[in-house]
Amino acid sequence: MVGSAPRSLLRTLSIALASAAFAGSAAAAAPLKIGFSMALTGGLAGAGKAALIAMEIWRDDVNKKGGLLGRQVEFVYYDDATQPAKVPGIYTKLLNVDKVDLVVSSYGTNEIAPAMPIVMRKKLVFPSLFGLAVNDQFKYNRYFQIMPAGPEPKVDWSRGFFDLAAEQKPKPKTVAIVAADAEFPINAAAGARKNAQRHGFKVVYDKTYPPSTTDYTPIVRAIEATKPDLVYVASYPPDSVGMVKAAHEVGLKAKMFGGGMVGLQFAAIQKNLGPLLNNVINYDFWVPESTLDFPGVKEFLARYQEEAKGKGVDPLGHYLPPFAYAYLQVLEQSVNSVKSLDQAKLAAHMHKTTFDTVVGKVKFGSNGEWAKTRVLMVQFRDVQPDNLEQFAGPGKRIVLYPKNWKSGDIVFPYKQ
Amino acid sequence: MKKISPFWIVVVAVIIAGLVFTSTVKNEYYFNAAYVVLQALLMAVAWNVLGGFTGYVNFGSAGFFAVGAYTAIALDKAFGLPLPLLILASGTVCGLIGLALGYLTLRLKGVYFAIATLAMAIVFETLVVNWAYVGGAKGAYILTPDSHLWFDSYIQMLFMVMLLLALAAIAVSRYLNSSRLGRGLAAIRDDEVAAECAGVPTLRLKLISATVMGVMMGVAGAPYPFFVTFVDPVSAFNLFIAVNSIAMPMIGGTAHWIGPVIGALLVGSLQEIITVTVSSELNILFVGLMLVGFITLAPQGIVGLVRKFRGRKP
Repeated sequence: MVGSAPRSLLRTLSIALASAAFAGSAAAAAPLKIGFSMALTGGLAGAGKAALIAMEIWRDDVNKKGGLLGRQVEFVYYDDATQPAKVPGIYTKLLNVDKVDLVVSSYGTNEIAPAMPIVMRKKLVFPSLFGLAVNDQFKYNRYFQIMPAGPEPKVDWSRGFFDLAAEQKPKPKTVAIVAADAEFPINAAAGARKNAQRHGFKVVYDKTYPPSTTDYTPIVRAIEATKPDLVYVASYPPDSVGMVKAAHEVGLKAKMFGGGMVGLQFAAIQKNLGPLLNNVINYDFWVPESTLDFPGVKEFLARYQEEAKGKGVDPLGHYLPPFAYAYLQVLEQSVNSVKSLDQAKLAAHMHKTTFDTVVGKVKFGSNGEWAKTRVLMVQFRDVQPDNLEQFAGPGKRIVLYPKNWKSGDIVFPYKQ
Repeated sequence: MKKISPFWIVVVAVIIAGLVFTSTVKNEYYFNAAYVVLQALLMAVAWNVLGGFTGYVNFGSAGFFAVGAYTAIALDKAFGLPLPLLILASGTVCGLIGLALGYLTLRLKGVYFAIATLAMAIVFETLVVNWAYVGGAKGAYILTPDSHLWFDSYIQMLFMVMLLLALAAIAVSRYLNSSRLGRGLAAIRDDEVAAECAGVPTLRLKLISATVMGVMMGVAGAPYPFFVTFVDPVSAFNLFIAVNSIAMPMIGGTAHWIGPVIGALLVGSLQEIITVTVSSELNILFVGLMLVGFITLAPQGIVGLVRKFRGRKP
């Protein structure tokens, strides 16, 4: 019987190896499918494509690490063409035909909301990407939104702008609020009104303009006529550009200008506006300042910038892509901790955990928004003309608010 | 005994098939996809009543559709009315707008009329954008009600509602096409002055035709908020809705009631398939190419092609 022990050991080992190989092939045969719709054409395509690049980087990273629950991750996604009407069909197809294991959202409020009833019926966790206060209506306890707007998204958005203004000496007295007639700007302006009231600023101008406006000088002239100390602008990219240019043409004399302008976070627009941006104070979510140098974010951006070349998307990718990567990191960390796809357990984990992501520590509140706002107020400084590279590093967008992330002091009053 | 037309047998068969579909198929995707196709079909049939039969091209279909949707939102918010009443109300409101549009035809023809309809849609969009009660520019959320009759889910019920509406619209369109009224409309399309001289009450017929179109587009829009749950002016007044309502009858054939039905089923289904197989980008290109192809090679649409093939005069 000598030698039987090693032989049996060998046999056990070979069986173990064979079964491991079998398990491996089974895992290869059954990838873990994550489904979503994304705006790859239409109005939001530029951002949607950038988000997809970030998400694919995450997928490759996870698969390199062996996947989720030992299964390789695969994406199933369809282009919603920025048309909300396409979204319900896409999510029902993902869930009923493609039988995806997990779902995440498309980009933007209009594309997230139509998916909610379908996701809610199936009681799935729904990590979502840049929706403004979608859950105010649905009150769904498995909704987790990655944009750091905060527990009261509409008010938190402009909190920093008005808190900063209130700290200045002499304290400004009057404010003009101007917004585009569209979903986000109207919500942002409503929040700005509340913040203005909280600090006792007198609202001397409060109007909206149609998004199709091309000449913004009459609007800025009308604002200038009321001589406001602060000008809070809530706008989408084309009108943000228009407003900044018009402010210079008219020679706006306000002490603070900016606030809720979407678009000033995009590298192409920054390059286009150049020095016109100097001293504008606007919201942002991540900028390459030392205070926001979270583990992994630089490596991620380097890879994103490589992938983004020639694809017509934001070449620097500071605004949306890190968050598109992070909302999947939240999902990844939750699945790995819970060790199953049990949606109830995943939701419970997401509610109680603080996640470490490329956009820093993420903790969700009860309504699925960030428990604490991290809408940054940044001020453009020393911007040179026609230079894209300058925005890749620190020093051009100084973080003024919140205090935890502050990287410099405000230049007040706003000088053109 | 009067013989029952095969049309009604088909209608009853389709309703029964729809009911069987809802009770046997559990996969909700098919209901979502079918709903989108049927909504497009209803819009195409509606457009064809004025555009195809009467020859007045309407570019403002999205305006009617959105007014239907927003009427439903407003009444749902104000009184919480059930869906059938919302559909009725949207139909009435859009019917009245259609009637007003009909009066426009007194002064406007051809390209001027088309531009006026487009302008009308923009006027309505501006009104809605500034009407805070229905959400204004920031949009409105409509939560899907919990009750859905005996159906398994709300989308199944919406599908059945849209199926019945589409069939009703087809029946009306068929009646208009084949009746004395329809011949009057055809006369207007061919030569309005000659028709008037020959004793065709052109204004009355145009008013009827524009009203019917308005009603149909309004009822198509009414269930839309419950389908998407979030409506904002940009998506409700989307030009794509207007383009589809014109492209589908053009491709199917505008002169016959079956034209828009064929066009919508073909283009609508292909669009749904392309969205989930290739990409939505190609979707738009595809509609454009088909439209250009048909207008240049087969201006009478598929119906015209079939007639030609059969050796009959188009």
